[in-house]
Amino acid sequence: MGLPLFSAAEDPGPNFVRFAEVSGLLTTPEQAIDAPHATTVVALRYGDGVVMVGDRQATAGYIASRDVRKIEAADAYTAIAISGSAARGMEFIRLAQLSFEHYQKMTDADLTLEGKANYLSPIVQRNNLSSPLVVVPLLAGWDPTRREGRIFEYDGAGGCYERRDFATIGSGTPFAESALRLGFRTELTREEALDLAALAIYEAGDNDPSTGGPDFVRGIFPMVVTIDAAGFAELPTDDVRARYEAINERRTQAQGIAGGTLR
Amino acid sequence: MSNYFYVSPEQLIKDRAEFAQKGIARGRAIVATIYDVGIVLVAENQSASLNKISEIYDRIAFAGVGKYNEFDRLREAGIRWADSTGFTYSREDVDVRALANYYAQHLGDMFTEGPKPLEVEILVAQLGGSVRPTKLYRVAYEGTIADEPHFAVVGGDADAIRAHLAESEQEVHDLATTLRNAVAALAGPDREISVPDLEVAVLEDRGGRRTFLRLTDEQVAELLGP
Repeated sequence: MGLPLFSAAEDPGPNFVRFAEVSGLLTTPEQAIDAPHATTVVALRYGDGVVMVGDRQATAGYIASRDVRKIEAADAYTAIAISGSAARGMEFIRLAQLSFEHYQKMTDADLTLEGKANYLSPIVQRNNLSSPLVVVPLLAGWDPTRREGRIFEYDGAGGCYERRDFATIGSGTPFAESALRLGFRTELTREEALDLAALAIYEAGDNDPSTGGPDFVRGIFPMVVTIDAAGFAELPTDDVRARYEAINERRTQAQGIAGGTLR
Repeated sequence: MSNYFYVSPEQLIKDRAEFAQKGIARGRAIVATIYDVGIVLVAENQSASLNKISEIYDRIAFAGVGKYNEFDRLREAGIRWADSTGFTYSREDVDVRALANYYAQHLGDMFTEGPKPLEVEILVAQLGGSVRPTKLYRVAYEGTIADEPHFAVVGGDADAIRAHLAESEQEVHDLATTLRNAVAALAGPDREISVPDLEVAVLEDRGGRRTFLRLTDEQVAELLGP
């Protein structure tokens, strides 16, 4: 590729996806391909930010991978999570990361969190209308002007909706969402939010065949991240392991019966 | 019926070169110098928002002098080129030499075939790492490309500034000394440049992926000292 120069009328501006389409860098597949799928991520607001937890399993009729990272930092204050086709989801995350940075370099200004959320809508739409429901993302971030954590969820057609409480994506949604509905309060502390989100993924892993729970044998645990005024941070494995050991212990004490674990 | 006059190729090139040089000489120069742990780019710029220095990629910076609309379009093309190359291959595959060559080709084409030569000079810098070396390239209005080992100067009065730096920059210094030398060279013997009129950015490893950083007026003032 040579130097990508455009006339003023045809210039795609700081929008990387538009530029990539004009220059043929991105192509849209004609139909869905049966490839590994990634599942179940939750995002939850608490007093000072957002907690996100995602399981690590990719499924394609069998367990295709046990250590997929479905949550990534899109930039220092924004996290993006994906469910659906693992391949398209990874591309989606790369595109989002690149797009936000591209915009910043081109204009010497940061996109607002709402700007980032709206930017993803047509990409979801482009992905899903040509090949049904391949990728559904979840965007969470710290809004520096409002000084609060915010969560944006999407429907398959690209609709973007802000959630003031919590949001779930992926096949484990019914189970994870139920746990969140029972345990959520406004003004949760960071610790309470972390435990509740971890439990939600535990329940999804327990009941949904496509969602992976904590894997004590391999030492692979759901990914846990927080986004607050200090930015995106991933919890260390030991911390996550301790939380899942606590849940597992309670569940063992209750002889495997789920009721009563939500305290 | 219109009349066509014969113009010799020598005359045509000379006229075009004079035209471009005149445009570039009106703009203030930019200096890029390698210091002990990075590269500093210094421009004299009265505007706080119309930048002459910019980030292209993780370890690559851009500076342009001359007509703002012309070098800004080249800056945008550079960011697009780098981002799409990194997206297609890997971030480590984005190399400043390829970018400098594309700039040289485009400027060369515009000089010989364009409706008018571009009135710009471009400077691209790459901070070395585990994969690529530290590099400074200067690309002139007619497409000449130069690989500078220690410092590079573009813009009006570049020869005098280069001579000044050749004396003060005989070895690699720390950032503060390097910045002082660059500012002294830009100002020349008879005047001083005030801090708000300086645009300064560095490429330096700070533990993350991106190395470009704009310095604020306070940071520049502190580095320059009393």
